[in-house]
Parts: sequence; C-alpha cells; structure tokens
Amino acid sequence: MMMRGGRSLVSSPPAFSNDAKKLLVCTSNTVSVFSTATGLQITSLEGHTALVTSVVVVPPSSPAAKVLCYCWTASLDGTIRYWDFSVPELMKTIDIRVPIFNMVIPSFLDIPAEDKGKHRDLFAYVFTEDTKETQEKTKALRRQIRKCNLSKSRLVGRLILGETKKPEVLTVSPSGKFFGIRNKCKLRIWKVPDQGSEHAAVRKITLHHTKKITVIAFHPTQRVIAAGDVTGRILTWRGFGNIAFAGNNGVEKQKLINIQEDKPGVRDNDDADSCTTWHWHSAEVNVLSFSSDGAYLYSGGKEGVLVVWQLDTGKKKFLPRIGSPLLYFIDSPDPTLSAISCADNQIHLLKMPSMGILKTISGIKTPCCCPEMCKGLGNGIAFDQTAGLVALRTENYCIQFYSLFDDRGISEVQVCERNHQPGDDVTVIVTAVALSVDGSLMSTSEVKLAEEGIGGLVCLKFWQAGSQNKEFSLSTIVYEPHRDAGISAVTFHPSGNMVVSSSFGGDFKIWRCNNDIIQSDQMHQNFSWTCHAVGSYKKRPMTAAAFSADGSVLAVAAETLITLWNPYKNVLLAVLGDTLTPIVNLSFLGKSDNLAAASCGSNPQLSVWSMSKLSLSWSYKLRIEAVASAVDSSSFAALALLPESSSETTFKGRDGVILLYNATNPVPTAIWSVKKAMGGALGFLQVNPSSVEEVDGKTPEVLLAYMNGDHEYVVFDPYCKDAHEVSISQKEGLSALELKGQGGQYGYASIYGELPEFSEKRPETPWVPSFPSERPWETIFSGSSHNLPPLTNLCSAFLESLLEKRTAAVE
Amino acid sequence: MAEIRAEEQTLAISKTFLIKPKLKPKARTLPQTPESKYWSSFKSTQIPNLISSISSLSFSPSPPHPFAAAYSASVSLFSPLSLSDGDVSPSSTISSFSDVVSSISFRSDGLLLAASDLSGLVQVFDVKSRTPLRRLRSHTRPVRFVKYPVLDKLHLLSGGDDAVVKFWDVAGESVVLDLMGHKDYVRCGDCSPVSPDLFVTGSYDHTVKVWDVRVEDSRSVLEVNHGKPVEDVIYLPSGGLIATAGGNSVKIWDLIGGGRMVHSMESHNKTVTSICVGRIRKENCGDESMEDRILSVGLDGYMKVFDYGNMKVTHSMRFPAPLMSVGFSPDCRTRVIGTSNGIIFAGRRKGKENVESGGGGNVLGFESISEPERRGLRPTYFRYFHRGQSEKPVEGDYLVMRNKKVKLAEHDKLLKKFRHKDALVSVLNKKNRENVVAVMEELVTRKKLLKCVSNLDADELGLLLTFLSKNATMPRYSSLLMGLTEKVIEMRAEDIRSSDPLKGHIRNLKRSIEEELRIQHSLQEIQGIISPLLRIAGRR
Repeated sequence: MMMRGGRSLVSSPPAFSNDAKKLLVCTSNTVSVFSTATGLQITSLEGHTALVTSVVVVPPSSPAAKVLCYCWTASLDGTIRYWDFSVPELMKTIDIRVPIFNMVIPSFLDIPAEDKGKHRDLFAYVFTEDTKETQEKTKALRRQIRKCNLSKSRLVGRLILGETKKPEVLTVSPSGKFFGIRNKCKLRIWKVPDQGSEHAAVRKITLHHTKKITVIAFHPTQRVIAAGDVTGRILTWRGFGNIAFAGNNGVEKQKLINIQEDKPGVRDNDDADSCTTWHWHSAEVNVLSFSSDGAYLYSGGKEGVLVVWQLDTGKKKFLPRIGSPLLYFIDSPDPTLSAISCADNQIHLLKMPSMGILKTISGIKTPCCCPEMCKGLGNGIAFDQTAGLVALRTENYCIQFYSLFDDRGISEVQVCERNHQPGDDVTVIVTAVALSVDGSLMSTSEVKLAEEGIGGLVCLKFWQAGSQNKEFSLSTIVYEPHRDAGISAVTFHPSGNMVVSSSFGGDFKIWRCNNDIIQSDQMHQNFSWTCHAVGSYKKRPMTAAAFSADGSVLAVAAETLITLWNPYKNVLLAVLGDTLTPIVNLSFLGKSDNLAAASCGSNPQLSVWSMSKLSLSWSYKLRIEAVASAVDSSSFAALALLPESSSETTFKGRDGVILLYNATNPVPTAIWSVKKAMGGALGFLQVNPSSVEEVDGKTPEVLLAYMNGDHEYVVFDPYCKDAHEVSISQKEGLSALELKGQGGQYGYASIYGELPEFSEKRPETPWVPSFPSERPWETIFSGSSHNLPPLTNLCSAFLESLLEKRTAAVE
Repeated sequence: MAEIRAEEQTLAISKTFLIKPKLKPKARTLPQTPESKYWSSFKSTQIPNLISSISSLSFSPSPPHPFAAAYSASVSLFSPLSLSDGDVSPSSTISSFSDVVSSISFRSDGLLLAASDLSGLVQVFDVKSRTPLRRLRSHTRPVRFVKYPVLDKLHLLSGGDDAVVKFWDVAGESVVLDLMGHKDYVRCGDCSPVSPDLFVTGSYDHTVKVWDVRVEDSRSVLEVNHGKPVEDVIYLPSGGLIATAGGNSVKIWDLIGGGRMVHSMESHNKTVTSICVGRIRKENCGDESMEDRILSVGLDGYMKVFDYGNMKVTHSMRFPAPLMSVGFSPDCRTRVIGTSNGIIFAGRRKGKENVESGGGGNVLGFESISEPERRGLRPTYFRYFHRGQSEKPVEGDYLVMRNKKVKLAEHDKLLKKFRHKDALVSVLNKKNRENVVAVMEELVTRKKLLKCVSNLDADELGLLLTFLSKNATMPRYSSLLMGLTEKVIEMRAEDIRSSDPLKGHIRNLKRSIEEELRIQHSLQEIQGIISPLLRIAGRR
C-alpha cells in the first residue's frame, strides 16, 4: 500500500461546475473535485500522466443542461481529455503529443444546439511547446499558441498564432469573442473567428504599456480589457479593437479618422478609445477579474489583499489580511459564491457580497522561508504517530495539522498572535515544534529578531489539546527560556509530562508539567509547566536532545559529544564522543539500546552508538537530513542527501535516498531514491487498522511517511515488498512521482561510492531487488524462491496486472 | 441551496490581533487565603498617647460592645462606633485609682466593670456614671487579675501576688472563698462559659489549676503544668478545652479528658503575653458558620491566629512594638491590641450594622405602599416597542450567539493603519507602561521602532524620555528599554542638546541609572559574600 498526498492545489486556476456545487482543482496529475458545501474532496479524475495545467468546464447550452458535468483538461503529457466528472468517467482523449501549458476554449457559446443538425467543430486554443524544430529556430521562441480542433481530435494544420519565449497564460473573454496573452510590456488580443471553420483568419491587435504586464482580464459585456503590471498599476483600456475588429472593409477609412481623435492615455496609436490607470497595489498584480455583471473589478497581489474596484467610480473596497499572496480569483455561476486561491496552498470559498469565508479547502502549507541564521534548526515538522498527523510550521506563524491518511488540513494553531504580511521581512520565526507521543501536548519555540540589537525575544510555548477536539490551547509561555540564546531542540518525554529544551547558549532545561485537574467543572485539565532542572556540559552549545523509549535516559548533544543524563535526578551518566562536526539530530532507536546521531557541516556523519557498550557501533559519511525511528522495532530510517555529482549522473535528478537500517546492522535493509530531499522529513506512523486498507489480508505493522522539501509526501509500508509493487501497478496513474521508486528503487548499487567502509559487505544484502515496471509479470516472479509470496497471492496479482494492461490498451 | 447557504456562518478571513503586553508569571500559591483576607480586612486605627503599657483590654458583652483599656492608673472606655469614624479619643475615663490598674472585667450585662490595681484593691464601677460602687479589699499584695463569671452576676474572681485566688460576693464586699494552692504569683484566670461554678487560674509556678466552688475543702479539681510561668489562660467556648500562654508557647488542654495536652503552638519568638478567642465567619456552600480561633500576642510584636480545629497558624500580623494585651469583640467586628508603649491598635471590620437597628428600620418600613398594578403595554407607549428585549434565555433555548466585537484601543487602531509614530505617542500618553512596552515590541517586529524615534518631535521625545527614565531600570523591561535608551540618546543627541526640558529628562535618566548602579554594586557585594557559603554548603 502506498499513499501520496500533499499536492499543490494552486498550480493552475480551479473551475466551478455549472451548478456551483463542485470545484475542480488541478492537483498535479489528477483533477480533484471538491464539494463547495463541505469543502471535502468528492472524487478525482485520474488519467493524465503529467501535471494537469488547465481545466475547462463545459458551460450549459440551455438552463436545463446545468446539471451536466463535462469538462476538458489539458496536461503537460500532451493530451487533452474530456470527462464526465459526476461519474467520473473519461469520455475522450486527444493526443497532440506536445506539452500543453495552457488551454482555452472560447467558442462554447457559438456552438448551436446539437439538435439543429448542423454540427460545428469545437476549437481550443492551446499553448504548447514546439518540440521538433529546435535545430533550425532560435531557442528563444519555442512556445506557440496553436489552435486545436477538439471535435476532430487534432491540431489545426500549421496555424501558429503566436510565439513567445516563456509559456504565458491565455485569457479568454467571458463572451468568448476574444482571447489574449501578455507578453512583456505588450498585450496581444485575438478575435475568435465567427465561423467554426479551421483556417479562418484570426485577427489580432497589440496594446502597449511601459511596464511588464502580469495579468489581464476581459470585461464580460463591453470591449474593456484590464491589465495589471509589475509595479502594481491596473490599466483599463476601453473600446479596444474598435478599428481592427470592426469589419472587413472599413479599416483604412476609420484609421484615418481616428488619428485626429483624442484618445486619452493610449500609447503608440494603439487600437483603443481610452486607457485609465489605477494604482493601489504596492507589488505586482497577480489577480484580476471582472465581476459577472461587469460592475466591479477584483484585483489582488503579493500583499494578500483583495481589492474590489467599482468600475465606474474607481471606489475601492478591501478584504485585507488574507495572509498569503493571492494567485487566482474565480467567480462561480452562483452569484453568492466565489473562490480565491492563495500561494500557501489554500482555496478559500467566499460568500460573495460580504466576502466572509464559507469553507476553506486546505492543502498542505508550503514550507516557509526563514533567514539564514535560523537554518539548520531542523525543518519544523513533527509527526503525530498515532493519529497519522503531521504538524508543520507555516508562514503565517501557525502550526498546521495535516492528516496524512486523509490528505487534508485538519486544523491550525496560531502560535504567535500576529498577522502575516507576505511582503514584509520575516521578523518572527517559529523555530521548532514538538508533539508528545499521544499527540495531546505540543511545544513550540519562536524567535523574534531584534531591530538593530534591541528587542529580540525567544519564547517557548506549551500547548494542550482539548479532550474531544484537537484544538490546542496555550497552557504556558516561557519568555527567554535560555536567556537570550536560541533553542536548538525541543523534545517530549515518552510519558508526556516532561520536555527538554536545549539551547545554543550552553545549557538545557527540563520542564515538568504540573497538571492540577479541577474535578468540579467537567474534568478541566490545567497544565502548567515549570523548570525542573538545568544542565550544562562545559558550557558547550547544546545542539540536539532525545529521550530514550522508556524515558529513563536523556541524551543531549553538546556539539560533537553526546551527554547522557538521568532526567529525573539531573545526573550526568556518561559522555560519548567524539564526532567530527556538531551533531544536529539525535534519536534513540526504538526499544533497542542504540542511539543514532547525525552531524552536519563539512564532515557529515551518521553514527549509531551502543548504549550498553557506550561506544560507537558503526558510522557512515552521509549528509543526513532527517532520521526517524519506529517506536516498537529497532529499525530506523534516515534521509540522506546525495552529493551533487552523483545525483546528476546516476540518480536522474533525484537528490536524496531513504535508507532503512536495522540498528545492529550497518547494511541498509532497503533503499529508496527520492526527489527534493532537501528540507524533507521522515516519520514512522503507527497503523490504525480502520484507516488503512488491508493488503493480502494483513495490515502492515508500521508505515513510513516521507515528506519532501515541497511538502509533498508519500506514506508506504517499508517492510512489505510484494504489496508494495502490486499496489503501485494499481495506482500508477495517480503517481505524483515524488518518490521515483519504479525504475531504480532498489538501485543500491549506484550508491557504492557513498559507502566505502562497508562496500565489501554489499553483496550480502538480504533483500531481493524487484522492479515494478510496465510489465509486472516479468518482475513478480523474480527473486529467490523462499522470498516469493504464496502462490495464491502471486496468481491474483499476476492476473490483475494482465487485466489492467488490457483495459489500458483498449483505450 | 442558496437559502441554506445564506444562513451559514462565515468566518472573517482576517483575524485582528490586539497588541497585548507579555503575560506575567502567575503565583504558584494564592497570595491570600480566605482566612488571612478576613484578618486583614480589619481596618486598623491607632489609638496613641496612652501612658505606659496597656495591661488589659476588655469588651462589654452588650452591644454596641464598647471596650475598656487599662493603662497606668486609669481605665478608658472607647466606643467602636466612633472608631470607625476615625475618632480615637476615649468616650470616658475612670481615674480614681491609687496605683497601676492590672486587670479589668465587664459583667455579663455590660453595666458594671470590675478593675483591680497593684495596691491590692478591687473596685466595681458603674459603667455609665463611673462611680465606684464597691471596693473589695482583702488581697495583701498586688492583684493581677479580676474576672466576672460569664453566667453569674453576683460573684467575682480575683488573684494576685499573694498566691491566693479569691471568690467574692460583690454585693456584700466579702470573700466567699479563699482558694489556696498556687505556690507563686497568680497572674491570670478565666471563668467557664458553661458553668457558673468552674474557673481556672494560672500562676508563675507553671501550673494552671481548675477550681470548683462546690468542692468543700477549697482544693483545686485539676492541675496542669504548662512548663513555663503562665501569662494567660482562657476557656475555649466549648468549656471543655482551655488554652494557656506562657513562655513562647500556647498550649491547649482537654479538661474533660483529665487535663491532657492537645497541642502546643510554638510560633512566637518571645513570651506570649495575652490570648483571647477570635471568631471568623466562614461561608461554606451558602450558609454562614462561625469558627473560633485563638488570637495570641507576644512581646515579639506578632499577633498570631491559631486554628485549634486544624492545629495550624492561619494568619500572623506584625506590629511595631511588644504587645501586651488583646481583645476581640463578641460581634466579631473589632479587635484591639495593646502595646507596651501606650498605643492601642484597634481594627474594625466593615459589616452590617447591628440587628437591633435593622429591626427598627423594619418598623418604619412597615407601612410601605403596596405595589401598583402592572398595566399591559400598549402600542401608544414607547416601551411597547422594546418589550421582551431584556428577556433572559430559558434553559433549552437555542442560542444564536453574536460575534463578540473586538475592542480596539487607540494604539491598535493606529497600528492597523500603519501610523506607527502616532501609535507610540498615543500609548505613551496613556501612562500604562505594560502597553507601552508591548507597542514598542510590536514596532520592533515591524522594524519601525528606530524610525519612530527619529521622527518624534521635541514634546514627544520628552514624553519618551520621561518614560525611559522611569522604567529603563525595571528588570522586566530593561532588556528592551536599556538598548532603546542608548539608541535614543545616540540618535537624538542634537535635539537634546538644544532643548532645556530634554536636558532635564536626561538628568533624571542619569540619576535613575546611577541609582540602579548602586543597587547592582551592593547586590554584587552580597553575592560575593554568599557565593563562598553556597560553595561550602554544596560541597557537603
């Protein structure tokens, strides 16, 4: 079994269904259909094999047809597909064999009803990449706008409407008469030819501006076009194309007349009556949209404020403090509902005149950038093992709880009571988050940066969850827990009533929880945390801390040394050392008496120390990004970054590997190579039988979750190999492929250069390589016979794979 | 669908966060127990300028419970009612004594007052006319205590340095019983609150004897040994327990159990001179109950409140002089403490006035007019349109809550509009230093604080400097404010030099910094003394 998630919901604009009850969102290779009433996912359209770039819902031709749910999708895999998304069912596939960056279908409105008998072709305008003519042409102009006949499933001949350097967004007017693109400082507008014939001449005009244009929008009824530029100005041209698009013959004559006419604001003798400018935004405008009646213009940009302009008067209304740059604003057919997509992977459904949030479709939040001085503090990702949640810090000073199994955001905890301004400098950073084993307690630390040396502050906060809901409430704040030194790590004791925080200032503190349960009013627990002990070792900066599984030993890394303490009595038990560079990550390996330490710097190292012998068991020279150990077993997983030289050649752009070790054995039991490992995280999840589908009648003991630097994640069973490959062949279409396991999944051989110390032991690795591929029957039976699954299992998997292949071939 | 959606709750997309000061640490224990709150609720007034030490204090058992104080060769009566008005002069004074008055006692109806002096004379006065009605002369040595029995109006008890306890018939001025047995000065005694025949006396021979007038041969019924010269002895209200004070300790004895010591309270550092019974009003689950406490005062200047139910000292209070006597009024509203240098510390509690006067009020209010009939509201009347708006929800009603409106302070509003300097000035004008620091911290996170400082005009800079000179050395804020002070002076040196009022602020600032430096120096000296001691203690 394997679950993927954490995909971006905001890679392309979403689209409302005709009854506004559904919202179609492009999520990497699939299109997810969300209910606008509940904000939950209903279904998904799976079939594309690369990023879906556009989704266009077919508008109803008559009021009765509102219930019909058809849409066109275009993808980078070079196909355009036609779906009935109520079922959901793939109706038609058009393969044009060039990546499609954008697609608009302007001429729905021109289609007469089918019953008239005169069937006309449906045309789409697509933004594609010219893959063939790279040799002859300059590399600059490789993106083309082309016309595609959807009814006949092919591109229209050699008709190339325009060429640009970069893929631009095609914008179509709501009336379906025009479409346009921005190109640097110019706007290009094409008039959609009236007849549905293929080679009808498409006429175009160009409007000029002095700044780079970022977004354009067409007025629904009039000949008005609005454009936003990088400086935050909004330009509105009225009556564009009066000359060029007027008629066939009168062009010359009108031009002569119009030269004398006064055209305020219009540059370069452009084909427009007037041009007005509004300036409110301080940074570039990303969102521009006319309301459906054309009375208002919505604009938004990097500062996260939606501005509503009254078109006639220029009066403004604001929806401030959204907290994230706006990307898209979509009006729905229902006038009371609209959606805005934000850069932090959230889609807010707005109730329209009042602009309150009805529901939020919450994707996983994007990693927040933090300034250099706070790097290397861990990536701020904590896993709740029992509930399958992950807690991530977000840009707006929150901790987001994201369900890995359900692939949706559960809740957010506001750590600092501040509003986030996307444009501003980052001055407050949530540096660490830790969860107790049962997930009911949380501890966060935050840093407020000083302004020229005054006013810096470090805070340690303790949170408790309510009994029924997962809403966390603040129980204790500690200001400056280690004087002015920053906190390097925060870790919970397995019992949950103790926390250790280590600091770069050279000490660590053990915090204990005094919970006075007030019985009288419905078992209200009131936790308060107080400092129980302070420890330091030779004034060295403490860089990492970990509790053993039974909680009797506390390991604190004092730069290159590991100090072991009794947490209850605050007695130093032993000192282990030395690593070459400071340790950044410590982890006790399950119930075994081993401790894994990862150090970074010029001489990175992954070392495993035996607690019984108080000595180094084994070590690798690896750059470790994250270490996770399972609670019950002695195995642990480490996410290692590959050096750039090897990742380019042997790993095809994958820059990291997940290594699964048994604590006692330096030979990894399994290796997976992954992409975007920088900033990634690993976590073992306990399996809740209800949440996980059974594979071969047994549920996996434990699951490993890997989250990459972009917060896309995959959850899989690290031990069960047969189930692994079978389910991959079932779910191949879904793959976001951040875990590129298919080809070189067990390609451990390519890592030989990495692990020189144990290279001679390599061939003895106990696991069996298997390569799930396009033809699973070739790999199912490979491997030694004792490692094969029972024949019954094999048989069904084999037959299933055959069946799957057939149906695909039919399509 | 649209209708349903219209009723849906929408969340505001933008949250508004107020600028709040940092939280203060919460005390782990409550600063005041309810009991100590009760005892500190006695509003203290001093009655000064009495000559020599206050040897005895006694409350009249009848309301409004005036009290008498014996000092030197006179006895003064004070009214507690005038005390609460701040009037500390005595309402009357009896000074027909030839020697120092040692002890006084009111009769149970509060009409007569017995007083003993060191000449060996015991006199009985009429409280109102202050005339001595009877002179009881039999003691050959100074009389140390005199006591009216609680349930008996005809007899009197006295004891003195001749080691004899005498039981008097007051009307006939004759001694009924001479009780011999003590081997040293008799210093104190008390009569049983439950029996007219029983009483205890304490003596410097360390013993407390229980006497019964019904016993034929005038011998003590029971004898307990306190271990130190007994300074005071009282019956506790149940009549079965007595408390004795002597040396540093107060001991509680069970008389019914044959003179067993129940507890010994030893929290005074010097001799306990006087004890009395105090009462505390406790409210448990709505109904009021009274609990008795022992109030003890000592030469160490402490008054302690001892809960003999739980055997705990529940409150203690310090006074600036050795304490000689203590009294507590029967209505629980006044407690008085006499010192050795002629000051009485009288404490009076606010409370309901006496029940009697309340009864009088009822008589007056008896003929109140019955309530007028309620007329139904008509649409002609203004209130018709407001009817039912103040109706309280019934249990089970579905409540639709209106969102609470966030109340923004002026600086919050200004910060929302990014008017940073105005926000700083407005909060500086408000004189709440926590808010000022909170706004400064917010400005730091917006990286605008120094810009604000550079934009302040002269008056506003003066405001800021006043604030800094007052608060820069406060430990809670110093980490931020010291740095800021430095920056302010650095940045605005020119303006400060050119303006005299600003120079004044800088002088104040300098003064407070010097003060702080002095404190730090002395603290470091102390640390230097302590740290070797701690080192040695740690080595053990």
